[in-house]
Amino acid sequence: MVTHSQVRKQARPNPVLASVQQFWQKRGPDLVPPIIGIAVFLTIWQLVSSSGLTRLPGPLSLWTDTRTRELLLYPFYDLGGLNKGLFWQTWASLGRVAQGYTAAAVVGISVGVLVGTSPWLNKATYPIFQFLRMVAPLAWVPIALVALQQNQPAAIFVIFITAVWPILINTIEGVRQIPEDYDNVAKVLQLSRKDYYLNILFPSALPYIFTGLRIAIGLAWLAIIAAEIVMSGIVGIGFFIWDAYQQNYISEIILAVFYIGFVGLLLDRAIAFLQMKIAPARK
Amino acid sequence: MSLLVAVDQVNKIFSLSDGGEYIALKGIDLKIKTGEFVSFIGHSGCGKSTLLNMIAGLSLPSSGVLTLEGKKITEPGPDRMVVFQNYSLLPWRSVRENIALAVNSVYGDMPKGDRRAIVEEHINLVGLQHAADKWPDQLSGGMKQRVAIARALAIRPKLLLLDEPFGALDALTRGNLQTQLMRICDENNVTAVMVTHDVDEAVLLSDRIVMLTNGPGAEIGNILEVDIPRPRQRMEVVEHPSYYSLRSEIIYFLNQQKRIKKLRARKTTAVARHGLEKVNLDIGFVPLTACAPVAIAKEKGFFAKHGLEEVNLTRETSWRGIVDGIAGGYLDAAQMPSGMPLWFSLGGHKNTPLPVVSALTMTRNGNAITLSRRFYEQGVHSLNAFRDMLHRTPETQHRMGMVHPSSMHNLLLRYWLAAGGIDPDRDLALQTIPPAQMVVDLKNNAIDGFCVGEPWNLRAAMDEVGFTIATDREIYDGHPGKVLGVREDWAAAYPNTHIALTKALLDACRYCADPENELEIRQILSQRAYLGTPIDYIHLGDPNTKVCELQKPMREYAHHLFFGDGANRPSRTEHLWHMTQLARWGDVPFPRNWLEILERIVRVDVYSTAARELGLLDAKFTRGSIHLFDGTDFDAQDPIGYLNSLAIKRDITIAEVVFDGRVAALAA
Repeated sequence: MVTHSQVRKQARPNPVLASVQQFWQKRGPDLVPPIIGIAVFLTIWQLVSSSGLTRLPGPLSLWTDTRTRELLLYPFYDLGGLNKGLFWQTWASLGRVAQGYTAAAVVGISVGVLVGTSPWLNKATYPIFQFLRMVAPLAWVPIALVALQQNQPAAIFVIFITAVWPILINTIEGVRQIPEDYDNVAKVLQLSRKDYYLNILFPSALPYIFTGLRIAIGLAWLAIIAAEIVMSGIVGIGFFIWDAYQQNYISEIILAVFYIGFVGLLLDRAIAFLQMKIAPARK
Repeated sequence: MSLLVAVDQVNKIFSLSDGGEYIALKGIDLKIKTGEFVSFIGHSGCGKSTLLNMIAGLSLPSSGVLTLEGKKITEPGPDRMVVFQNYSLLPWRSVRENIALAVNSVYGDMPKGDRRAIVEEHINLVGLQHAADKWPDQLSGGMKQRVAIARALAIRPKLLLLDEPFGALDALTRGNLQTQLMRICDENNVTAVMVTHDVDEAVLLSDRIVMLTNGPGAEIGNILEVDIPRPRQRMEVVEHPSYYSLRSEIIYFLNQQKRIKKLRARKTTAVARHGLEKVNLDIGFVPLTACAPVAIAKEKGFFAKHGLEEVNLTRETSWRGIVDGIAGGYLDAAQMPSGMPLWFSLGGHKNTPLPVVSALTMTRNGNAITLSRRFYEQGVHSLNAFRDMLHRTPETQHRMGMVHPSSMHNLLLRYWLAAGGIDPDRDLALQTIPPAQMVVDLKNNAIDGFCVGEPWNLRAAMDEVGFTIATDREIYDGHPGKVLGVREDWAAAYPNTHIALTKALLDACRYCADPENELEIRQILSQRAYLGTPIDYIHLGDPNTKVCELQKPMREYAHHLFFGDGANRPSRTEHLWHMTQLARWGDVPFPRNWLEILERIVRVDVYSTAARELGLLDAKFTRGSIHLFDGTDFDAQDPIGYLNSLAIKRDITIAEVVFDGRVAALAA
């Protein structure tokens, strides 16, 4: 108790420290458990790898391995060709995701609305969608390569075909689940088709659509790594991993994995943020 | 008021997933005039919302036509705006935007400023200025429904449709919203149709209440006109004389629907035993002192003694219940007012003759006419004084209560009034009120007097709200009170049971007449299953001094006659007197074939067999002619001549009554 009050006495004149302390008091209970969890996980990992049970390097190797340390410290270097810093590798993968994912969102939402509003179309397409949905992203790679001949469009196609199903299926469901009451309001007011889409259908289906979008962004990110591993010779975080594996730079793989995980987390939060801005949850 | 909505022979059939079909509504006919407020009431699943949705155009009838201003309704439209039970506000639009969506889509060609003004006007109308920019999920249920009402009214619909609008709200909010809705409707002359299951809400808001029977095949059971003037105030409406009768009418209807549902599910079959065709009987009675023989037969085991081992007594609060029970066939037999068998047989119920026979007169006397205490204080102590008072104040509508058109109370009261020169329909209004309701209505000044069986006259006197101006012993001493009534087809199907039933009740009548049993009978009657009234109000024979003390106008207290010389034999002369009186007041036509009808209705044969088997030898065959207080003697020689000689009467119809079909009405 004594030290605590002393800290307070010192902290009072310093506004920065005071705000940090205030932040810590408020958010501390939320932040402490994940920090402890991560620390314990990394420690166990380090212990296991240094015990010699596995060849997998521990997390400390990111720093102890020289090559990896350089990659860690200089993510922005660009020496031409495939020899680029990790930021640029990730950036290239993200670019592909952006294209494929946007295409998936546009196609998924528009086809979803079309199919959702027509029970006949829904019945007609249901088996096809469910069938195609089950095909793994990797299985699409050879098909895409055969069909499109080039690596870049094939990679984008794989992203698209992976991401489109959750968006499509959730949009269909969202449109089908529009409460009858809202439809009745639209019918009684004799809303025009445009007014109906803008004021009833989209707002009502939006939560479903966003659920689809969030699932899809995760899948898209998963798919790009897989696709790049298979499609050799392109700039991208996936091929970077494959390349490192071929050359036995295991700790580089671990670093790349950290990048992948972190970017995936950011993507999910970004979509969630978008959802909060566009369609706040209202009952 | 012009016709706005017409529903013509509409049926609605839903097909079920198993391939069958469910008939939700059958043969619905309804007309709604401009400016009217109509409510649909009925049990859950009776199809009232389906009917509303068909008017809205949200669902279409399977057959039949609905029109709005003569045009067939084929789709929903803003001229028939709906207020849904769960508000149906769009959660992604604020209060203002929700109303604006409706206004913009309906008044799209209007300038923007005008549209905005309409939105603001209606936000103000429901008093939600402070919440105009809130989201629906920030509002309470009551506020949401106000928004929905504002949205509906903002587009000026020809017809406002409300689907249980206040069903999900707490009582206080509901009351406030009802008042607001009523004000808005009155001020803007809105035509509205509301689905509700709240009886008070229906009475408060409606001009007409449409009561739907239970599905499948729900139909309009009855339509009530609410004659309470507008504008209405919640507290004043409750005090209006019609309020309780409307309310009890609806509640009676809803209860009846519930019972019919239960009876449909039960389906009893006749249990034959001891040489009787049916020993499981449902017998209806109304809680009055005169129900003593029925109660005693059950409690003292007279039914069982005569082989009727599974008798179930059904307590009805009004004679309506007995009528519906007998007409619907779910009562085997009932205690009836003495005129009811004839009233049934001559087509009093729904203009369809239903032969009902009587083999036993269970009680005589026991009725009286009570007037409000304030007349006593004004010096109205006699029939003549009452007449003078009525003729002095023609501008005041005086009302008197009776229990059923066919009951002796009605006939006695009318006879008494007419003999005093009072026309019971022109100088007064007679209202049908359940017996137990009389004293309460008298206390509330909803009626000025009544004629009813005991204990209610005594109770009015003891509670000092009324006084007995005349007893039945003065008007028509020894008149039949309650009789045993069964349907003729029932009597034909179960002849031995009919005799056993007559025997059991006659035995019970004998028991009731023994002064030694009086206290026990009074105790039994005071139980909840029967009268549910303190024993002090229940008297069988002579009254004690406490009752007599009410000086001059309180004459000798009427006492019941359960048994005695010729008291129980059903008398053709008496039934003929009833026939003339029922015809006199226009309830039924006077049958040209009256002799034949009396032969069929008055089952002296059953009575005689029962009495002989009980060892009671018939002392007298007739009771002779009937003596009435105005000096007339009624004999059975010339009933039509008697009817023609009466001064105060309605237009009398004479017709041949054919039991197998409808009445062939011939004006005489």
